[in-house]
Amino acid sequence: MTKKLKGDFFLLSANELQSGKVVFYTKKGWLPNSNKAIKIHRDDLSKYDDIFKKDEEKCIIISAKFVELDESGKIKTLRDKIRDSGLTIKIK
Amino acid sequence: MYKYSNIDKKIIADRTKQFQNQVERRLNGKLTEEEFKPLRLMNGLYLQLHAYMLRVAIPYGELSSTQLRKLAFIADKFDRGYGHFTTRQNIQFNWPKLPEVPEILDQLSEVEMHAIQTSGNCIRNISSDHLAGLTAEEVEDPRPWCEIIRKWSTFHPEFSFLPRKFKIAVTGCLEDRTALLVHDIGLRLIKKNNVIGFEVFVGGGQGRTPHIAKMIRSFLSKKDLLNYLEAILTTYNQLGRRDNIYKARIKILVNELGVQKFKSLVEKNFVKFSNEKLKLDKNTINDIFNFFKLPKLKYSSNKLPISKNKKFNEWKQQNTLPHKISGYSIVLISLKPPGKPPGDADSRQMQELANISDDFSFGEIRVTHEQNLVLPHVNNTQIYQLWQQLDILKLATPNIGLISDTICCPGMDYCALATARSIPISQKIGNNFKKYFDQKSIGDIKIKISGCINACGHHHVGNIGILGLDRNGEEFYQITLGGSAKEDAAIGQIIGPSFSEKKLISAIRRIIKTYRKNKKNASEDFLSVFRRIGIEAFKKDLYDNTRKKN
Amino acid sequence: MIILERKTEKLNKYKRITNEFFSANDFLPTSLLSLYQWQEIKKQGIKKNFQLAIEINSDESSESIKDSLKKFSMIQLNFKTFKDGRPFTLVKELRIEHKFKGEIRASGHILPDQYVFLLRCGFDTVEIKKEDKEIWIELLNLDNGLYYQP
Repeated sequence: MTKKLKGDFFLLSANELQSGKVVFYTKKGWLPNSNKAIKIHRDDLSKYDDIFKKDEEKCIIISAKFVELDESGKIKTLRDKIRDSGLTIKIK
Repeated sequence: MYKYSNIDKKIIADRTKQFQNQVERRLNGKLTEEEFKPLRLMNGLYLQLHAYMLRVAIPYGELSSTQLRKLAFIADKFDRGYGHFTTRQNIQFNWPKLPEVPEILDQLSEVEMHAIQTSGNCIRNISSDHLAGLTAEEVEDPRPWCEIIRKWSTFHPEFSFLPRKFKIAVTGCLEDRTALLVHDIGLRLIKKNNVIGFEVFVGGGQGRTPHIAKMIRSFLSKKDLLNYLEAILTTYNQLGRRDNIYKARIKILVNELGVQKFKSLVEKNFVKFSNEKLKLDKNTINDIFNFFKLPKLKYSSNKLPISKNKKFNEWKQQNTLPHKISGYSIVLISLKPPGKPPGDADSRQMQELANISDDFSFGEIRVTHEQNLVLPHVNNTQIYQLWQQLDILKLATPNIGLISDTICCPGMDYCALATARSIPISQKIGNNFKKYFDQKSIGDIKIKISGCINACGHHHVGNIGILGLDRNGEEFYQITLGGSAKEDAAIGQIIGPSFSEKKLISAIRRIIKTYRKNKKNASEDFLSVFRRIGIEAFKKDLYDNTRKKN
Repeated sequence: MIILERKTEKLNKYKRITNEFFSANDFLPTSLLSLYQWQEIKKQGIKKNFQLAIEINSDESSESIKDSLKKFSMIQLNFKTFKDGRPFTLVKELRIEHKFKGEIRASGHILPDQYVFLLRCGFDTVEIKKEDKEIWIELLNLDNGLYYQP
């Protein structure tokens, strides 16, 4: 999973198995807020590989992925931004 | 409408129980996500960007008021108060929680609905003409045939693990409202020498390699329908590619083998494996047809009322069609009011519409593949009253078939596969062409918007197609012109370099300007002009102007 | 691994030939050959009236065995992944087109959720992990014999 990644810093994100909600890996475990997510250097990615695999096995999360950060430390791609902050449209 | 037999009820109930078991096994770790995924998909459950998404089938687009009420209830109790009608006559709920899904399925089964095979590599919900049984030119009502196919294809033991998803549409008219020719199998009822049977088309599809379906049988006898479908599926299951997901649809197989070779393999399998028990006898067919009789409608010479109300008149002109029974009209309800996500309806609208359909249309509602709704049998004398009620609910936008009546996928706001957003584009188009008069002067036109190459928004077959792309992290939109999903189906041609989100609307305006400039008379529509003058004329106007502005 | 025939565990009388180099003399009526081994042996000539078992992977072509079906007492269709549905059609070909009457067994990556489909398509037995026996039987028990297809 780490092979294709570009960039230097990442967040670890996933969806909760039960609710499907987007979560980020923080010091306190998986939380919905990206602000508190641990900033991971690319050299450490494999360490976090083990973390999410374990939590996938424990049926806590699914669909884990590393979210790339830009130079200013913000989430880089639009898709990941929308994943983090929700719909860009008004529903009703 | 079709009513479940005891067997239907038992089969659906058992499936719900089975899925409950699968969800439990997933939650306690006995099933891995890899193993669970195809099982949940076969029950219509996806994982999207923000949450799970449950796709519920509306077989051949037909809903009762009771069913619509239940959908409203589910939207409120298990979701965020709304649902999204899709391009294949399904409804999607965007926020269900995994442990609650079996309960949702249970609720659905109470009103004879389900989410079976709305996803996964199996035969999907059978789609049909939303005007089935309502028009005079129809050869035969396609809905009973859809129901026959629905049964046969549900939990088919042999065809539940196909190379890829498989979509079938059936129409009873020459005028196609089902996008028949971009389906894996398209069946068209025709009459030859006074006998009704099917024309069989195969290998249509959109996605990254769009194809128009090709005819492999010019006449298939009714009794052989299921055996012939089995022969096609057998051939596909044997030979469809499994080495590359992008080449796994039947359209690729048909194209790689050539239609003649494919046809001969199907005919061989038809002979080899035809099963007496699958032959349809007259009684079986009649039994199903009996479910689809018209309600008791009284012929009359009542015309649609004449009113001084301009808004009503616009709506009447745009959103009603004559019913085959004189004195009644078919009413189309637009789910594309300006600024709203196309195809979305909130729970209040669903609830109220269920009541309205009871009062005005015998409790029947239809869902169109263009993401609108239909009240099929409205008495002309009640139409003004109906309009007033729809208007209060913001369900009386007079734009059916016009430029703001876009088809649009959920795009990157919801979808894990999307490369760009599509709903904001549709909203911009709606807001830019708000006035009925402007839209009417442009005339019939189909704009179809997809947020990625998978083409859920049918961009390939839009008169104007818009495809959202990711160009170095920025959303860009490629425009195609000249596509059609109707009986004259065609894949649109790419006009040239794509546009940023900011420049897209002015590009569309320029395309419309070229059309207006070239139309010979008031009634020549966009597609006709395109076909007459070709893409170059549009291209010249579009890109010359852009350069000057840059 | 165990062999399940509907709800009953069955003795697996077949053994894989694992020798890399082997000849027609190496195999017994209880030998389970790969498609490759079978093709090799076929070249060497097989004794008349001799029966054996063969395993075909879901991504292999079965064309080369179709003229020798009488040689097999058991055909094992091995799913490379449960998503590869070709064996569901292959079993129909074997049963209906070629009138194969021997045992047809499903092996490899198969799910208990597929059990009823496997049986309905013409498989007789499945090869599964011993610890999974209970769930396979449980899911078979959910089946009440009501289907839309004949």
